[in-house]
Amino acid sequence: MNIVRRLGAAAGLALAVAALGAAAHPSPKVVLVKHTDFIRQTLTGATQYLVRTVDIGKQDLAAIRQKSNFTPEDPDVEFYLGQAGGAPVGVVLFHQVDTPHGPIEVGLTFGPDGAISRAMVTTATVETKPWVQEAVGTGLMSRFTGLRAGDDPRKALAGVDGKLGGMPQYMAELITTAVARGMVLYSTLYKGSAT
Amino acid sequence: MGLYSLRQANRSVKLGAVLFLLVLGYAYLFAFLMVKTWSGLTPTKVAATYVPAPGMDEMHMATESHATTKPLDLGQMPDMKHTVDTNTLVQDSHIHLMIYAIVAGLLTLIILGLDWPAWWRDTVIVAAFATGALDFAGQWLMNFGLGGFAWLTLASGWGMSLVYLIVLYSTVRAVLPGRSTGGYP
Repeated sequence: MNIVRRLGAAAGLALAVAALGAAAHPSPKVVLVKHTDFIRQTLTGATQYLVRTVDIGKQDLAAIRQKSNFTPEDPDVEFYLGQAGGAPVGVVLFHQVDTPHGPIEVGLTFGPDGAISRAMVTTATVETKPWVQEAVGTGLMSRFTGLRAGDDPRKALAGVDGKLGGMPQYMAELITTAVARGMVLYSTLYKGSAT
Repeated sequence: MGLYSLRQANRSVKLGAVLFLLVLGYAYLFAFLMVKTWSGLTPTKVAATYVPAPGMDEMHMATESHATTKPLDLGQMPDMKHTVDTNTLVQDSHIHLMIYAIVAGLLTLIILGLDWPAWWRDTVIVAAFATGALDFAGQWLMNFGLGGFAWLTLASGWGMSLVYLIVLYSTVRAVLPGRSTGGYP
């Protein structure tokens, strides 16, 4: 019985030690693609990388609101630039939309011509990941390729409508919102050359 | 006097109480790992998870945007920090507070059978419910920008664990044969 008691006490102690300090259970984000991997993979041929941080001014904020009816939460927006031999290869922007089920983040790569060359969902949550994967599985992300300032990304939803259930459809619409806002931020804030 | 005595209870009642506590401890193990991974175990890290970043200050905003460009070493780029915004905290609160209440209620059912003095029994019952509530009170206060309340959330976690430890210890003592149940930790 002593051995049983000691084993029980040891197990209890181990569980208690593990439990100590355990509170504040955050809903975990699920990183589907790391930022560094997305930048490397989508800025093909880049040999030099730069980060451009734009502090949004009143004029640009008004332009963003006019174009997209949203106000960025963060006053600073970061663009990741790729260059090869001094020539621009592309620009990457990550944009997040918040939902009651946690945030969804989309990575967008714009080519030197200003058109989207790649779009991927980079972050979801434990809860939204299966819905996001179902939405992405319809080929949604590839339909954003080639879009440029002034185009309507909601046309990409035409290939999704009727194929998805309630929550995956909702995720598809949120992803499209993130793409639309990312396009507005890029067209409004990313100006001039990378140097 | 409690509503029943766990020591005198049917074997199935004892079995259910012990197994509930062991599986709860099992869940706490993963809760610990989850918090360690996604939030952190120090006040600074917890505050960084819950205190919102400064928002748009239009009063002091420049008329034109200002850009700075710097070289970027992708190898040195920090991993994205996990943060909990208001929407996520609403979701977390509605799920976790309910679970905390259920767990505290089940712990109370066990506590009622532990033959503790009334004052001690009531103290531990209140602590079982209060620690869960204070955990999220700390999170909401941080969400309102009061990062110093990271201590409240951390202390609540420790308190929750302490309640668990006390109930587990007393329950094991009560169900093992040949043990007196008159005492309490």
